[in-house]
Formats: sequence, structure tokens, C-alpha cells
Amino acid sequence: MTHIPRIGIGGPVGSGKSMLIERLVPMLAEIGYSISIISNDVISKEDADRIRNNLATKKGLLPENMVIGLATGGCPHTAVREDPSMNLAIIEEMEENHPELDLIIIESGGDNITTTFSPILADYFIYIIDVAGGDKYPRKGGLGITNCDLLIINKIDLAELVGANLEIMRTDAERIRKEKPFEFINCKTDQGVKKIAEHIIHDLLLDSQPKSDSLKKSVKIE
Amino acid sequence: MNTDEINEELAVMQLSDSFFPTGLYATSNGLEFLFSNNEIKGLEDIKNMIKVNIEQQIGPSDCVALSNVFTNIERKDFKEIIQADEIAFIMKPIKEIRKASINSGIQLVKCVTEFVKDDSMLNEYHKAIKEKRVHGIFPVAFAICCNALNIREEKSLTMLLYGFTVSVIGAALRLGLIQHLEGQKIIHEIKPIIIQTLKENSNKSLFDMWQFAPQFDIFQMSHEKMDSKMFIT
Repeated sequence: MTHIPRIGIGGPVGSGKSMLIERLVPMLAEIGYSISIISNDVISKEDADRIRNNLATKKGLLPENMVIGLATGGCPHTAVREDPSMNLAIIEEMEENHPELDLIIIESGGDNITTTFSPILADYFIYIIDVAGGDKYPRKGGLGITNCDLLIINKIDLAELVGANLEIMRTDAERIRKEKPFEFINCKTDQGVKKIAEHIIHDLLLDSQPKSDSLKKSVKIE
Repeated sequence: MNTDEINEELAVMQLSDSFFPTGLYATSNGLEFLFSNNEIKGLEDIKNMIKVNIEQQIGPSDCVALSNVFTNIERKDFKEIIQADEIAFIMKPIKEIRKASINSGIQLVKCVTEFVKDDSMLNEYHKAIKEKRVHGIFPVAFAICCNALNIREEKSLTMLLYGFTVSVIGAALRLGLIQHLEGQKIIHEIKPIIIQTLKENSNKSLFDMWQFAPQFDIFQMSHEKMDSKMFIT
């Protein structure tokens, strides 16, 4: 069976996981990458419905059945870490029925800084926080912040309004993350989001071309 | 206890542990719908729901399928196991429940084949899942895996019913319907129902399988239509 590269995106409620997906997917789809999204919701399928509506129904960037909402019994962490079996069941179906996919994005509606993805489930793990949680967030550490492949600090436009010092966040992130990357972004304006797409293409997709033969565009994002 | 018996007990603990990765923590078997519609209130209602499910659904269908698989493993009759898989599949008319059962069954087999390599029936069933000759429905997968771990039929039946009970109690706790001490009280009070169900449903033919709980079928079906939900079923 084809192994389709998978990204796990975790982070606190309201940090911008769904918005990041809504910003990233058009950039990746523009290049020709074929993408599916699994949204693990804590309580509803609202995120999945919104993503489906915005990316599939309105923009036609992917078929509607390529956005899947998964109920997690109130245990979003369990569903992506200790017992990812329900996510794996969906992914195995995807890999069998849609080998043309280039990428599967798995969003987890986690709610704390200890969220991590099982490496069996996700090949690449993005953890997203936002400045509204305070500039203490990076230095608090936690498995999500320290272990992820890419740390994202979102909503930087709000920093001044909420009294968060971005330099403190940068210094703490460098110290906590050591050599691992982190990026500041603002999903509302797409500021910094291209860099995230580049990380995914380079670090996860290894700069490979989209599987689709009909789209021969360059991997480089213009 | 001798070494074999200790091994069996350890296997029982391993497969019964909520830590074992089959995704059952994400199922409520219709409880969430009842909760959302204020049709279930507390301890007695939940106990009654579990009792009806065990006596009218899981006992006469899943338990009979599980028991038959054990018989046919002994006879080395894989064709009958395929038939048990098919009939157990047909016995689950609600799509959500059927799908969750298959997903859990397949993941269970995948997990056990990671550490049990030399059981021919387990390997054959795993191969049949991959080749889509069987559905991988949970009670059949569970019987195959229990047998591969040298767990006897009676204990496997007990584990199946206990596992169901605990998954509903877990859902009730997370929904805030009961408190943790009440959950244990329900589990304790369900034990006689589990024992009675085991007695009534082992050693039955596949063609004696049935399930009849239409009100719960409707509740479980209604859960499929809910917009906002925590649980898969």
C-alpha cells in the first residue's frame, strides 16, 4: 500500500490550527499537491465543516469527501498519541482508495501543551500556539513545544494588544527548541505562511513534485 | 497458578486494559444521543441501557459469533469463521456501529500481529482482511486474537461484555452523567447480567444469532445525524 506523507497539526483550542490549514492548502494546491484533511474535533465537526466549506465547496481545491471529521470521545490527545487506531483506520482507507494523494493533514483539537502525535500516525508534527496565551508560552516547554518538528507562533499582530513581547518569545523558543525551527506567522494576513509551506515541501515532501502529471509547475513558491 | 495460567491472565489484562489501542474509548453506543435529548438521567438509566444492549444486542449476536469462532478454530474450519464474520456484520444494521466495529476489529488484529507472529489462524484472518475476504468485525477479530494469546472462550466472552460495559461507563463519565464512584457501582451491578448472558449464548449455532432492540437501533441511528458530538457512535 502507498504511504502518503502525513502532517500532524496540534495546538491549543483557538490557536489557529484550522485557519492555518485554510491558508496552507491553497498554496500547496496551487503547486499541484493533492491533499486530504482529517479533523479530530473535541466536541463537534464544526472545524471539519468549515474547512470543507471553505476549501472544497467554495474554492474547489479538493473534493468534499477529502475533508473528514473524526469524533474523539472527548480525548483528542488519545486519538493522536496513545491510541491512534481510529485515525489510522481512516488513513489506511485513504491510502488504499486514493493513492494519488500527495499529503494528508491531520488536525488535532488538543487543548494543552503536552499534545504530541504518534510517529506511527504523523511523519511531521507542527505545533501551533498564539501570542494571546502570553509570551511565557514557549519557555513553559511541554512536549508539544519541545518535540514538534516545527513550532508556529500565530497571531503576531495581536502581540502589542495583549502585551506579549515577541523578542522574549523568540529568545525562549531558540533556547527551548535548540536547533529545531520555529516561525512567527499571522494567518489572517498570510504573513509567514509561505515559509510554513516551504518547510512542509522541503522537510516532509523532500521537494518532490506533485504526483499529478497534469500539473507540471515548479515546486518553488513564487 | 502455573506459567500458562499466569500468561493467560496477563493476556486477559492486556486486552481488557482501556490502554489497549482499539479506539473503543471514542464510542458511546447511542448514549450521547440519549444524553443530548435528556432521555437519560443517571445511574439506573445507564445501567438499564447497558443491560438492554447486552441482553438484546451483544449477547445473542456478538457473543454467539465469538463462541462459534472458537469452535471453528479448533476444527480448523476457516470457511465457518468467514461465515461468522459475515453474519456478525449483517447483525449490525446501524452504519456507525458497524463501521466502528470493523475499524476496531481490524486495528485489534493489526496490533496483535505485531507481537504474535506464529498463530496460523490469526495470520490467515489478517491475510483475509487485507484481501477483503472478511470484514474484520470486532467480535470475530476479538475471538481470533484472544485465541492467539491463549485466552479461553469463556474468558474471551467475559472480556467482550466487560469491555462493552466499561466503554459505555467511560462515555457516561465524560458526558458528566455519572461520577466515578457511580461508574464502578454500575460495573459491579452489571456482573450478574454478564454471567447470565454468557450462560445463555455460548454453544449456539450461527443460525441462532439474533439481535432485537429497535428503540436502541433508533437512538444509535439518530446519533449519526447529530451535528455536534464527542463520540463516533
